[in-house]
Order: sequence, then C-alpha cells, then structure tokens
Amino acid sequence: MNLAMTDRAGLRLSPGWVRAGIVVLAVVAWEVAGHTILDPEFISPPSAVIAAFPRILADSDIRHAILVSFYELLAAFGIATVAGIALGVPIGLHRFTLRSALPLVLLIYSIPQVTVLPLFVLYFGIGPASKIAFGVSHGIFPILLNVVAGAQTVEPAHLKAARSMGAGRLLIFRRVVLPHMVPSLFSGLRLGMSATLLGVILAELYGSQAGIGYYTQVFTNSFDPAGMFALVAVLAVMAIILNEIVRRAERRASFWRVTAR
Amino acid sequence: MTGTAWRARAIQIGFVVVCVLGWIYVGNARLISPIFLPRFDRVMTELLRIVSNGTVFVYLGVTLFELFAAYALALAAGLTVGFLIGRSRFWVAVFEPLLNGIFAVPIVIFLPLFILFLGIGIESKIAFGATYAFFPIVLNTIGGIGAVDARFVTVAQSLGATRWQMFKRVLLPAALPVIVSGIRIGFLIGFFSIIGSEMIAGLDGLGSQIVQLGEGMNTAAMFAYILFVILIAAILNTLLSLLQSRFNRVAAAS
Amino acid sequence: MAFAGDVAITVEKVSHAYLKGAQAGLLQTLREVSLEIRRGEMVCLIGPSGCGKSTLLNIIGGLIQPSTGVVKVDGRVIRGPTPNEIAFVFQDNTLFPWSTILENVKVALEFQGVPATEREGRARTTLAAVGLKDFADHYPHQLSGGMKQRASLARALALQTGILLMDEPFAALDEQTRTYLGEELSRLLAKTGKTIIFVTHSLSEAVFLADRVIVMTARPAAIKATIAVAGAHPRGPAFMASPRFAEQRNELYALLRDEIEKTVGGLVGEEPEEAAPPMLAEQRG
Repeated sequence: MNLAMTDRAGLRLSPGWVRAGIVVLAVVAWEVAGHTILDPEFISPPSAVIAAFPRILADSDIRHAILVSFYELLAAFGIATVAGIALGVPIGLHRFTLRSALPLVLLIYSIPQVTVLPLFVLYFGIGPASKIAFGVSHGIFPILLNVVAGAQTVEPAHLKAARSMGAGRLLIFRRVVLPHMVPSLFSGLRLGMSATLLGVILAELYGSQAGIGYYTQVFTNSFDPAGMFALVAVLAVMAIILNEIVRRAERRASFWRVTAR
Repeated sequence: MTGTAWRARAIQIGFVVVCVLGWIYVGNARLISPIFLPRFDRVMTELLRIVSNGTVFVYLGVTLFELFAAYALALAAGLTVGFLIGRSRFWVAVFEPLLNGIFAVPIVIFLPLFILFLGIGIESKIAFGATYAFFPIVLNTIGGIGAVDARFVTVAQSLGATRWQMFKRVLLPAALPVIVSGIRIGFLIGFFSIIGSEMIAGLDGLGSQIVQLGEGMNTAAMFAYILFVILIAAILNTLLSLLQSRFNRVAAAS
Repeated sequence: MAFAGDVAITVEKVSHAYLKGAQAGLLQTLREVSLEIRRGEMVCLIGPSGCGKSTLLNIIGGLIQPSTGVVKVDGRVIRGPTPNEIAFVFQDNTLFPWSTILENVKVALEFQGVPATEREGRARTTLAAVGLKDFADHYPHQLSGGMKQRASLARALALQTGILLMDEPFAALDEQTRTYLGEELSRLLAKTGKTIIFVTHSLSEAVFLADRVIVMTARPAAIKATIAVAGAHPRGPAFMASPRFAEQRNELYALLRDEIEKTVGGLVGEEPEEAAPPMLAEQRG
C-alpha cells in the first residue's frame, strides 16, 4: 500500500519527511519557548543544551559517570543474555521442563520488580553490583521467555524431514531447532536491552554516588537544566545506538522468516 | 480452567510454599542476619499489625489516588491520540515509529525533571505515572486499528460504508481486544512507575514508606510493606485479567 | 546382490492405531495391510483423504512404528529411519528456509552421515541433474513452488538411496506444473531404476506415474484393489492422450467412489503425523 499522502496540488509527502518535520518543529518551538516563556532555572532551550555538551564532557567526573553506567549496562546485559539462554533452552526444549518450569518463571516475572529494589541495595550494596543485579533482573525475562517461545515455533515438518534423513538429536538441535530459535532470541535481546537499561537507571536514581542517573539528580538539584538535558541526551543516544545494533542483528537473523511467508 | 492451567497453578503454589518453608528454616537456623532477612513470623506479625491498625491503608490510599489520577489522564490522552492517529494509515506511519522510539528510551531518566517541575509531592508522581501509562495505551490503540484485516475494510467499502460507519462498525470492534490489552498494560506500568517514583523521591505513599523503613533498618516492617505491595499488584492484575477476558467474551459474542 | 524384479519392500500385516484423546479413544488408521514392492517398481497409493496413506508411507520409512506387523526392506525389519536405503520427499515446507538450496542438500548429507569433504561435490552434482545448478545459492522463498519441489527431490536424490518415498510431493502445485514434474519424474525413473512409492490424491497422476496403483479403502485403510498400468517409462503426453489412460483413470475413480462417499459422509479426520506437536522430545510410538 502506498502510504504517501497526495494533496490537491499533487505534492507527495512521505511519512518519514513529515515525521522529521514534526521533530524539527517541536525543537524550534522548544527553542522559542526557552527564550520567552520558560524559566531558565527549570528548562533550557536546545541551543543551551548543545552548548552544555563540551562542558559536561570536559568534566572528568561526568565522563567517569558515563563509563560507569555503560559498564553496568553491558555487564547486566551480558549476564542476562547468558543466563536467559542457559535457562531458556532447556526449559523450551522439552515438554516436561516447559510445563514445570515456565509457571515458576511467570510467577517470578509477575512480581513488580520496583518494589524489591531496596532489597537489591540491601544485599548488593550501593555500588555497581546492585545496579548490575537489578539490570539483570529486568533484562533476563524477555530474553528467557523469547528463547522458550522460539523453541515452540519449530516446524514439525522440518523435524520429520530431518529424522527421515537420519539426523540424531544433536544434529536436529543444531540444524533445525537452533535456527528456529534465533529470530525470537534476537527479539528477546532487543526487549531485554531496553529492560536492562531501565533497571540500571532505576537503581542509579534510587541510590548511588556514580553513573548517569546520579548526575541527572545532581544537575537537577543545582538548577542546571542544560547540563541535565545534555546528560540525558548522552544516555538517549547510548540507548538508541544499542537498540539499533540489536534491531539490525534481529533483522539479519530472521530474514528468512520475514520473507518466507 | 483446563488441566494444564491447574497444574501450572499447583506448581506455583508449591513453589511459594517451598520458599516460605526455606525462609522459616533459614530464620530458625540463624543462617542470615535478620537485618538482611528478617524471620518469617516477624514479617507476618508486622503485616498483620499494619493491616489491622490501618496504617498501611493510609499509604495505599495515597498511592491509589495517584494511580487513578494518572490513569485517567493516560487513558483520556492515549485513547484520543491513538484514535486520531490510527484512523489514517498515513499518520500511523508518521507517528508510530516516533512514539516507539521515545518509549524505547527509559523515560525514568526524566524523573528528576518531573520532580523539578512539579515538586516532590503527589503531582510529580501523577505526571510521571501518566506519562509511562500513556505509551502502551496509545501504541496498542494505533496497532490494534492498524492490524484490522484489510478484507473487512474492503468489504465495508464495497457495501458503501461512510468513514464514520467504517470506524464504528469495523475498525473499533475489530481493534478492541488489542486496545483493551494496552489499557491493561498501561494500568500496571502506571502502578509500578508510581511506586518507583515514590521510592526515588517521595514523601508519601507505599513506595516512600518502603524506603524509609529500609533506611531505618526496620527490615521486618519493610518486608511486610513489600509483601503487601506485591499482594496488591497481584490482586489488581487478577481483576484486570478477569475484566479483560469477560470483555473479550462479550466482544466475541456481539 | 540385488536385481531388478526382486522384492525390495515387504509390508506384512501392518496395522496402526493411535490414541486420539481421552474421550475419543483409540483411532485405527491401518488394518492389516500387506504388500510387496519389487525393485525398480513405481507404486502409487491412492485413497480418500485422511485414509492413512501417509501413515503407511511413514511406517514404511520407519518414521512411525506400526502397532502390529512389520515392514522389511531387503529382508531386514525396519525399526527406525533408514536414510542409507530410504529417502523421503514430502509435500512442501520441508526445505529449511534459513538455508540456501545448496546448503539444504548439504545438510541432508550431513544428516545421512556423509563425510564433510564429499558433501559439496555431491550436492552440486545432484542439483545440476535436476536443473537447479543456477539456483544453488537461492533461498527457498526465492523459488517458485515447482522449483522448491524440484529442490526437495534433489535433496532426496543426493542421499543416493535405492528407495524413494514420496508423500504427495506435488499436491500443493497447480495442475500444469504438477503434470510437467510428473513427466520429469517418469524420465528420472527410466534413468535410475529407483523403487518409488508415491502417495497421491490425483487420479491422473496415479495412472500416469504408476506401474501399479494400489487403491485403499476409507479409514481404517486396507487395500481395496490393485491396478496394473502397462507402459514403459519415460511416459509423455502421448501416454496421457491414449484411450487406455482414460479407461484406467475411470476404472480407478469407480473403485474409489464408494470409499470417498464413506469419507465425505462422516469420518473425516486428520492423519496423526499432522497432529504431532512441535516438540523435539516427542516421538510417536
């Protein structure tokens, strides 16, 4: 279906350009408002935010904070990925483990994780360990559940064909089950990545002396909105880049699924 | 409920029982300092006390007030914006990636801003909860309308349906299950973000109470509050699923 | 040493039933089927939909165990998949969509246990033999339905087995393509002298391809009749235009008519294989 909108003069607008236009318009409106009606102690226009970048990036404490957050995020995501796959594959592969373990996973997943955040700080301390642990607790579930779901999508006809050609269990796993799991593993990784980021930031905001989350509070409390926005922008860029990497990998891994049917 | 569902429930209950027994054992054997893991019976006593003397309901009232205010805002904004965008494929293509992109960034990072603008009281919690709950509602509304089988639309067009008839008779009924599921997710996300924002910076409500007890090293009471919140979340979740399944049944029957 | 004309496959009193569910109880799909197939023979199994033809084929190939009775290939009882002697071609959807055509054939050889160094050469030779040389690096979804089935055939041929079991391989194709591929198969048959059992729904396909058509009854399936079809392979359009072809086709339909009536009148069900759940650990016994 052609999504371009044609107006009476025959001018064609693509959704992408309109979207870009809306974003530009919003930034301009923000800029204008920043110079006229908004209180500079609370909000800064985009130009001031951009101007604040060199300042915050020059500050070695803040550079360190960005690195700390990045390290926590990567460590948490790595652990969540390894653990999610290590638990998800055996759970998804057999009917017995699926029936007995999946209800437990869903039970634990249904606990609102924010409520136990103080416990993470209590057990893991105020340093990076509690942030990583809390990030893992957020990231592991989407990964695990998607791996399990992937194992359920295995085509019975493919299993039968492989069996008829003499494939044993190991070969069937490697050549039939694994390829089926990969696309949904990658969607799990994408969701797990944003969940991990949420967990890490939440934990940083809750109680810490380092990381981006901590410094956004510092900037807020010292009425430096430009610095704060710049820091948030750094984090947003980090989130978008990581998200994009995983999304591309996901698309590559599932090319046959998108086009096959 | 089917046999498998009963089995799953039995496994879950068994797991909870084993956890509680393990907890009691650890407490009796003094394996872990009670500051880290208070004895089970102490937590239960505490839970009974705060429920029977009503203290917990004061905090619950504050949190629920914030939640319903936030939810009302999110629902009104999410459904209106969702329908306005969802009616045209063009505007869906414009806004859906934008909204998805914003939702992929952890909005919690803006929490200090909400507090800066609206203060440390309930207003910032309401605004923050409403912002988080808005996204699933608006995205599911758009997605639900977008996923309506094109054949239905073609049939309705061939029968001469007007735009309004198309919306009322085809798009809305076909999209409702997806929209309702967004409404449910929005409610839960709203609840969790309000608890979270109370924890990070709040003076009142369940979240703030948990943190204050933790800071006072009154772990038994903190555990009691945490269990209470988990219980409330489970009750709200069950109510919502019941509502949702009843709603889907009615929608399927009509 | 095996010679053309020897008995290649013996089916002795094979019955099959499976548990359909707690309420439905046992469902019998095959009733004491006995059958002998000679080396180099092309046998078509035809019967009402859902009668158990595919079940019989899967039992012969060792994918399903019979409830009673045995299947022997060259005198040896079949107890499981026997990829060195029997290759399958299924209806559709069994090429791995994440692999190219070449990789699909190579994986089949890996499954069969062929050493890694020989796989590539054998796969390429087979693909060339079925006219897919230029499509080796295409993915299944880039090919037409007919080409996909040709690739499935190549995958089976690459295993270099004496026996080919084909489970409605052309059923998902349009009639023209199906007729054309039938001619190709007939040529292949003439060249290689493979023993083939071919399950089909199509009356014309059965008469066109078979040396012997075996007509099965409605479920539980038993053998109702056998029709011998004269005419050496390769067969072509002339064979199809002959009065004898039309006659045998009509004869076949007359035999099947009652059975189809029974089926349409009520007992239509799915065959057990299609109902199998997608679990790795599951094996229907």
